[in-house]
Amino acid sequence: MTIRNVRDHGQRFRPRMACLKKVEAVMLEMQDPKTGVKSQPQKLVITTIPHAITGEDVVTWLANRYTIEAEEAWALGTMLVAFGYIYPLQDHKRLVIKPDTALYRFQTPYFWPAQQWPVEDTDYAIYLAKRNIRKKGVLEMHEQEQYNGLHKWMNHKWDFIVMQAKEQYRAGKERKKPDRAVFDCQERAYWVVHRPPPGTVSAMDYGLERMVDPNAEEKETSDFFRRIMIFTQQSIMRPRVKSSVSIGALVKYSITCNKHDPFLAPCLPSNPWVTDDVTYWLLNMANVDIPTKMRVERWTFSFGELLSDPRGRDDFRLFLKKEFSGENLAFWEACEDLKWGTAATMNEKAQQVYKTFLARGAPRWINIDGKTMEVTVKGLKHPHRYVLDAAQTHIFMLMKKDSYGRYLKSPVFKDTQKRAIGPDQHRFSVSQLEANARKRRPSISPIIVRQQEKEERARMATSGPVDITQVMSKLSNKGKEVPPPKK
Amino acid sequence: MPLINNKVGDDGTTSSPKTLEEGKVLIDSLIKVVACYRHLASCVGGCTDSLHLRDELRLTREKAQKLAVASRHHLTARLRDKTLPQEERQEMELLWVAFTSSLELLHADMCKVFNMGSNFSLINNNTLVQTGIQGETSEVTARALSLADLTRAEDQVPAILEDLEQSQLEEEIAHVDVMLEDMEEKVNVLRWMVEARGPQYVEPASTDSASLGLLSTDEEAGPQSQQCCERSQVFMVLVLCSVAVVMVVLSVCVVYLS
Repeated sequence: MTIRNVRDHGQRFRPRMACLKKVEAVMLEMQDPKTGVKSQPQKLVITTIPHAITGEDVVTWLANRYTIEAEEAWALGTMLVAFGYIYPLQDHKRLVIKPDTALYRFQTPYFWPAQQWPVEDTDYAIYLAKRNIRKKGVLEMHEQEQYNGLHKWMNHKWDFIVMQAKEQYRAGKERKKPDRAVFDCQERAYWVVHRPPPGTVSAMDYGLERMVDPNAEEKETSDFFRRIMIFTQQSIMRPRVKSSVSIGALVKYSITCNKHDPFLAPCLPSNPWVTDDVTYWLLNMANVDIPTKMRVERWTFSFGELLSDPRGRDDFRLFLKKEFSGENLAFWEACEDLKWGTAATMNEKAQQVYKTFLARGAPRWINIDGKTMEVTVKGLKHPHRYVLDAAQTHIFMLMKKDSYGRYLKSPVFKDTQKRAIGPDQHRFSVSQLEANARKRRPSISPIIVRQQEKEERARMATSGPVDITQVMSKLSNKGKEVPPPKK
Repeated sequence: MPLINNKVGDDGTTSSPKTLEEGKVLIDSLIKVVACYRHLASCVGGCTDSLHLRDELRLTREKAQKLAVASRHHLTARLRDKTLPQEERQEMELLWVAFTSSLELLHADMCKVFNMGSNFSLINNNTLVQTGIQGETSEVTARALSLADLTRAEDQVPAILEDLEQSQLEEEIAHVDVMLEDMEEKVNVLRWMVEARGPQYVEPASTDSASLGLLSTDEEAGPQSQQCCERSQVFMVLVLCSVAVVMVVLSVCVVYLS
């Protein structure tokens, strides 16, 4: 049995497949003996099977019926085949319509795709088991893999599946031979549509499932009107930006980032998804010593870009260290850590942050205005994830307006810019591309990457930040008593 | 799993069977009927759809439901029995899984037939899809009902009108639904503890595969190799003839020499 939490009766709506109703109407029109598609019998060695149609007949019929061009009719015909309403008799794995004398046949309504019902894996397992009955070892590789996978996770009903496959096979034998052949073809075509072989495009990609039918008319109750009222009130109160301003921002963004988009400009040295060569990823790893030119250019776009790139952040940290104002960045990173960390460590982290950055006479005291400090300290009495948000924003703006500009003019940045590499574009031949595809290997495990990051952070923590107060207190006499931090 | 006898002589009697074997037999028949129902359902809406087909569907459905009710009583009674030995309990749980799965398949098929029945109404003389099926399905129904032959008068009009049948089908779907939910509540079978005993692959059948293979490979290869097949057939005939001629010559020599 299947583990089902909701006995849904097809109430999982697949909105993108609402077009199927229209396709069914087209199919029924095609069946008309007078105005529909002409069918011919298909001659096999020992028998003939009726109702075979040629691809060109279908395309011509569509072109005449809807008065469209031949190309559009061809595309429409391919859609009918891709959805599984018509299946090819030769070359059954390619779901396209060929506008020549290639033969097709209409699929029986039982095997039509349905919007309401999902395609069950149990049925697929039964089908694959049945294929095995006729001839052992006839399953293709992807089918074999899926069969083994299904055997593993549907193991509890495997006896049932084997029995049902045998019974369906035997029931099929009661039918006449041509009917049996047609039924086998129908079933095979159904599964080519719904479990496509790897590397093919499936028309059954239907997006998200929804619990409510988006096609259904909504009842106009008071609740419905209340929702409309709330929606309109909120949209009146929303602050608006003039379209000239927002469009200007979009244009500026597109112009600056145009060359950095791997879809619009070629990725240097080569796009790993296309050529299977991972040099691009290796050159752009987080802890790489020499960054690429494009990466460095992205740091100049905005301060957010600089901070979000770990290599950029390292560079900025180096610059701030030279300027002895590293506490701002350290505070910002501590706030990020608090925001994204686990709930268990939150309290402890918040106290640590207060002791290190906010308390009077703290070792790495940051300079924020009185009001923000008041709000933050009050919030720290009952710390939560976003308690340091106001202070973090303040420090972010401070760094952006002050340090960022100086960073871009600093020798640190200029040095990095000079050293940055600009790799040449790869030019692979077809055989080299195939060799690359064969040599594909999984990249370094994210667990190892995370461990490395942790070690890195631990190393940085032990090496210790250079605090001005520590330095000063070492230079002067060490008698200065640091007042205990207020709780 | 025991051997399946094609014409199992069960008729869904009301007396509850007491042995494990009879329970297995019930479940096996249910699986058989569900398989036959699927074959029949695949013809609905196609060019062989007719009142007879709908009637056959109805008969098969009723048989399946009778078997389901009987199996359910049997299995529920046995599984609720606390004194059941472990070995038997495992067998029973396997049967339980088979029972629920076949009931789910039946439910899905009934829903599909209901939907198709409302789309392809026979009375309003809608167009039926030309699927290439030619023959009748009475043998399949006969197998489902375990009868030697399905006798029906050629022009017998089934007594039930189409609307009535649709509403009846709807009721039956609801009934099966209720049964499934009831089963989930009444008996607690842990699915992850149930292990299948049978093989992963079904044993390939040796009979009758050749001709079916011939049909399907012909369809695959296309018109060119149809001629090719015919040519290869002619070649085979020639070879056989030559072998026969050689045999005749040899026997003549033997006769002459002896």
